[in-house]
Amino acid sequence: MDEVEKIERWVILACLLLTAILGWAAWDASTQEWEGYQESYYRLALLRANSEAQKEWVRAQPVEIKQLQPKEHRSVERCITCHLAVDNPMFRDAPEPFRAHSSLLLSHPAQRFGCVVCHGGEGRAVTTLEGHGQGNIRAKPLLRGEYMQAACYSCHGEANLSPKAVAAVVRGRQLVNRYLCLGCHQIRGVGGEEGPDLSAVGSNRSWLWLYAHLARPQAIVVGSTMPVFLLSRAEVKDITIYLMTLLDSRDRFRNTPPAAEQRTKSYQGEEPKEEAKKEKGNLPENAAAEKFRYDGGLFFHGAGCSLCHSIGNRGGEVGPALTYIGRKRKTEELERLLRDPEEVLPGGKMPQLYLNDEQIKTMAAYLSTLQ
Amino acid sequence: MKPPREIVQTILQEFRGSLYRIYRSIFRGSYPATLRQQLGVVVNNLVLHVHPTRVYRRSIRPAGTLGLGLICFYLFVIEWITGVYLMFYYEPSVSAAYGRIQDLDSVVTFGRVVRNVHRWGAEAMVVFVFLHMCRVFYTGAYKPPREFNWVLGVILLLLTLALSFTGYLLPWDQLSFWAVTVGTNIASYAPVLGPKFRFLLLGGDTVGSEALLRFYTLHVIAVPTVAALLINYHIWRVIKDGGLARPPQQEPQSADGVVPTFPLVVYMELLVFVVLTVGLLVVSLLFNAPLEEEANPLQPSNPSKAPWYFLGLQELVSYSAFWGGVMVPTVLTLFLLVLPYIDRGPDGVGEWFARKRLGMIILWSLLLIGIVVTILIGVYFRGPNWNFYWPWNAWPGPD
Repeated sequence: MDEVEKIERWVILACLLLTAILGWAAWDASTQEWEGYQESYYRLALLRANSEAQKEWVRAQPVEIKQLQPKEHRSVERCITCHLAVDNPMFRDAPEPFRAHSSLLLSHPAQRFGCVVCHGGEGRAVTTLEGHGQGNIRAKPLLRGEYMQAACYSCHGEANLSPKAVAAVVRGRQLVNRYLCLGCHQIRGVGGEEGPDLSAVGSNRSWLWLYAHLARPQAIVVGSTMPVFLLSRAEVKDITIYLMTLLDSRDRFRNTPPAAEQRTKSYQGEEPKEEAKKEKGNLPENAAAEKFRYDGGLFFHGAGCSLCHSIGNRGGEVGPALTYIGRKRKTEELERLLRDPEEVLPGGKMPQLYLNDEQIKTMAAYLSTLQ
Repeated sequence: MKPPREIVQTILQEFRGSLYRIYRSIFRGSYPATLRQQLGVVVNNLVLHVHPTRVYRRSIRPAGTLGLGLICFYLFVIEWITGVYLMFYYEPSVSAAYGRIQDLDSVVTFGRVVRNVHRWGAEAMVVFVFLHMCRVFYTGAYKPPREFNWVLGVILLLLTLALSFTGYLLPWDQLSFWAVTVGTNIASYAPVLGPKFRFLLLGGDTVGSEALLRFYTLHVIAVPTVAALLINYHIWRVIKDGGLARPPQQEPQSADGVVPTFPLVVYMELLVFVVLTVGLLVVSLLFNAPLEEEANPLQPSNPSKAPWYFLGLQELVSYSAFWGGVMVPTVLTLFLLVLPYIDRGPDGVGEWFARKRLGMIILWSLLLIGIVVTILIGVYFRGPNWNFYWPWNAWPGPD
């Protein structure tokens, strides 16, 4: 019966291997990144403890997953599994992940709001890579620095915050207006239908995605017809921050969004000069906005116009060439056309571009020089 | 008074006796040592009685079947066990499903490895069921009297695909959402019934909460129940049809050609199970099951690819919806179902690549190459907008 013995030996060997693999699985399941953080936190806390009572408290703490279930939305957030010291005043100067939160936590209690609503990231995850949304452009990366303005603005709106706290959002909104984004895109019912609706783009895309896409759309979306706008880094950042405030109802925590009509008004009536005046004094970086003058030529090629129209031999072929448009149309006609294409050319392809008065004036003046 | 040594001995005896009584209460006989007992245990034991008491020695050569059918069965069992574990944590609702999967991957004890085993086991099951079918074809094992068992096998292949496909949606991430959208679109190309079938499957015109609930119910109870019953029937028929296929002239005349099932074959089957489990666990510890961001019906992924086993069809659909979506799958399924009733010649039964069946073997190999090549093109050579890309050329885009 040596045949049976041989196979018996193989079975025993395979079972030993299986035991080893199960041990590996158990080890793999029990060694977690957050355990290391918790242990070092409690060690640090022991060192910093002032009294015996505090030490007792630290020693009594279990190593376990900690989570918040914010009252205001249905989610689970486990950030505090590693960021244990957010509410511990003794860790004000400690390095991350153990730094105590700023005093903003007092007015935004974590029990009520959680972490993700302000900081972004993936609240359910318990590893740095996944929780901070790293390693994947489609993950939800943390909002840092100026990007956090998007979070403040999403809940509080512009009126309740100091101009400095929403400066980037406001600049981004102006830029969205300046580059005629609404000529192709809709935001909450206003705008063209050429491109995707942006009403909830902040929920659908990560800011990393938006940033990369604004810099070079075709690198992110294959065959995208969105023009490359030749934006500066600062402009890309500001527009991204503004777009991150456009959330869908799941993520929006806020007070109701402004109704569509109000928004239209604010887009059409928004004069860059006025905005700059309002924020003057607080914001040195916004001083550039005051000096800003629309340049018709830059506008034509930088914004969407050259997608459809050409001047000379640059531009698209969807609409008529505008090389000699100044011979054909008067300035006032052009102004009227730009204000409402449907009125002048009913049934035409030209979209409503939602330009403000200054933009219309500049464009019409520029176009009438093309003789 | 007894000396203490005797008391200890009495206690030990009692202990051994009670252990033996417990053993006897579970196993209704002692360990089978003689041939007669070994034949008897296969008949009398619930687990073993699906086997014949003796098997032909040529049936248990590893090269004869490669153990593929057994592996399929084990994979089904593993999927069942891991699936029940996952069911404790899963919730088939659009708002909760994705979070539950994230929880499984992050905080549930063994959640990630069990999910990985379930996922990779499912992919492996599709592969092994297909390989099993190829083995049966190449050894001519579907010929009379085993025609109907081949038909059962074809149905089990379809059920395996159904199990895998319905499970694909459950994580409710972008990958699963768009794969199922594309997959059910392929189904809707069939004339008249196609769109109705898609509507029935999804409970609507688009993939949504109804679709998730239907796929869940199909995945965890409806299809597995049918599959489990058919697997039992399939295995039972193997024995009733006369065991594994073998050439008629090689009927063993003497007792040398047969071997008692217990313990050799039982050990061999156990060995396959343990090795398979080890392999699956190692893969699951090294590679995580994919999970993209939460499903978003407004943001189609580009390219949207069906699950890989349907990518051959999707590749064909990209040339012609009618041929890829209707003709090829229908003709292929019908061909598989009627094959044993057409190809009835007694040649090459139980023999790998018999020369006398050269025509059929070439036909099958061409089909096989066609299926594999279209799937490979779909998986590795298709990028955004279903454009052709070499695998070593990066797709334009963020990934």
